[in-house]
Amino acid sequence: MSEAIKNVLTKPLPTPDGDSQALWDGLKNGKLLLQHCDDCGHVQYYQQGMCRLCQSTKLRHQAASGKGTIYSYSVVYRAPGPAFKDDVPYAVLLVQLEEGPRMISSLVGKNFDALDFDVAVRLTTAAISDEISLPYFELVD
Amino acid sequence: MRNSLRGKVAIVGVGQSPTGRVPGRSPLDLTAEATLNALADANMQKSEIDGVLTGNAFASSFHRFSVALSEYLNIQPSYSNTLQVSGATAGAAVNTAAAAIHAGLADTVLVACGDSLLTGMTPDMAIRAMTESRDQQYEMPFGIPVANTFAMTAHRHMKQYGTTSEQMAKVAVTFREHASRTPGAQKTELITVDDVMNSKMVTSPYHKLDCSLISDGAAALILTSAERALDYTDTPIYILGGGEYYSHEHIFLMPDLTQTGAVQSAQKAYDMAGISASDLDVAGIYDCFTGTVLMMLEDLGFCKKGESGSFVEDGQITYGGKIPTNTHGGMLSYAHPGIPAAWFHFIEVVRQLRGSCGERQVDNAELGIVHTLGAGFSTQATTILGAGSTR
Ligand SMILES: [Zn+2]
Repeated sequence: MSEAIKNVLTKPLPTPDGDSQALWDGLKNGKLLLQHCDDCGHVQYYQQGMCRLCQSTKLRHQAASGKGTIYSYSVVYRAPGPAFKDDVPYAVLLVQLEEGPRMISSLVGKNFDALDFDVAVRLTTAAISDEISLPYFELVD
Repeated sequence: MRNSLRGKVAIVGVGQSPTGRVPGRSPLDLTAEATLNALADANMQKSEIDGVLTGNAFASSFHRFSVALSEYLNIQPSYSNTLQVSGATAGAAVNTAAAAIHAGLADTVLVACGDSLLTGMTPDMAIRAMTESRDQQYEMPFGIPVANTFAMTAHRHMKQYGTTSEQMAKVAVTFREHASRTPGAQKTELITVDDVMNSKMVTSPYHKLDCSLISDGAAALILTSAERALDYTDTPIYILGGGEYYSHEHIFLMPDLTQTGAVQSAQKAYDMAGISASDLDVAGIYDCFTGTVLMMLEDLGFCKKGESGSFVEDGQITYGGKIPTNTHGGMLSYAHPGIPAAWFHFIEVVRQLRGSCGERQVDNAELGIVHTLGAGFSTQATTILGAGSTR
C-alpha cells in the first residue's frame, strides 16, 4: 500500500515536537498541561517555547482542572476521509476551559440532544497509540 | 495614506477556462488557457507580461506554480511568486500585484490560478487535501474538516444573534438564482429554502446546499499601470484600495467567533479608496458556506452585527437591493475549483464595472468590492475596484 493511501486510511497521529512534548507526556498521564507565564500571568494552550503575549520564556506547566463549557460545536455527518467513516456522526467541540484558553476536542458518546452552548463538560483522555493519548470531553450530568 | 496605490493600477484583461466538470485537463493547462483568454481580452502579447503571481493547485501541485506556469507558456518574468493564504489568496495576489506595479517591480502582472478538484484527483487525494489543511497536533486528530471550523462560527452566530438556518439557506437560493443567468455556471436549476433545509446534513448547522460546489477550472487577471491601461482597453477597472488581515491560525485562537478580521481588512481598503460600504454598487464575497456570507455582510459594513439574516431575507443582496452580491452565482452555484474560486468573483465584478454583464448587469455599477477569506476566517483580503469615473 502506498504511503499516501495509508495516510488517508489511518487517523492523523500527532507528532510531538520541541514545543509540545510536555503536553503529550502529560496527556499520557491523564493530565492536560497548560502553560502559565510567570511574567505576565497569561495562560496558554497550545504549548509554545515562549509566552504568546509577552514572549517570556518563564513558563510553568500546570494541569488544567478539566472543567469547561461548550463555546461552540458542530456535529459531523460526512466524514473527512475514510479514517473517520466509522465514527460519524460525531460532535466536534470548541471548549472554553475554566482557566481561560479554548481548545478543539470532540465529545465522548453520541448524546447530541443534550449538546448545547455554554453547558458544562469535563476532560477525559484516551490512548490512541503507545505514545499518544488524546484529550476528549464528556457532558457533566 | 503614505504613497497609496489608489488609482495607479488597473485590471485590463480577464479570462477563464471552461469550468464545472472539465476532465482530462491539468491545472497548468487550464490556467494557461485562462491566461491566453485574458491576454486576448486585453489585446496583449504574452511577451508584455513581466510579472506572474499564482496560487497553488491541489491536483498537481508545484512548489513554484507561478514559475511552472511561466515555463508552460514560455515566458520569462522578472517578478514571480506562488502565494498561499488559503481562500484569501485571490485578493492577496491582486493587492500584491498592484503594489508590485506601483513600486516598479513589474509593469504588467498576470494573476492566475487553476485546479481540477472535481476530475483531476482521486477521491483519496481530495480527502487528504481536505483533512490536512488543519493543524496536525491540535485539530486534525479530532476529525475536523475545514468546513467544521466555519460551521462552528455560524453555529455561535445563531446562538448569539438568533440567526436561523432558513436565513442562511436564503443565501444559497439567491446565488442559485444569479447563476441561472450566468453562461457556464455549474448549477443553474432554481432551488428553494426548503430544498436547502432538506438536503443532507454535512456538519451542523450546514446542509449540503449550504456548502460550496467542487469543480474544475481556472481564471486569470492582467494588471498594468494606469499610464499603460488605456493602450489595452477602453474600460480599465482601477484598483482603488486594498487591505488584508490575519488574526489567527488555529480556530480555537480566533478572538471572537462571530466577528472576523474582515472588519480590519475592509476598513483599510475603504480608507485607501476614500469610500465607505454604502458607496459600493456591487460585491463579490467569498461564499464557501452560506453563513460565511452572512457574517461578511456585517463585517464589511453592509448591515449591523447580528442583522445579516433579515438583510438577506429582505432581498438586499440581489438586484434592487442594497448590495447585489455574487451576481455570477459564486462558489455555491457558479464554480468552486478550490483556491481559484475567488478569481471568478474578481472577473464578475470587473465585468459588472465594465457594464458588460448583459441580463446580469447591475444598473450604474461604478464601485465594487471583492472580499476573499480562508481557513476558518484566519485570512482576509479586500480589494476595492472602480470604473474610470471613480478614479
Ligand atoms: Zn507572558
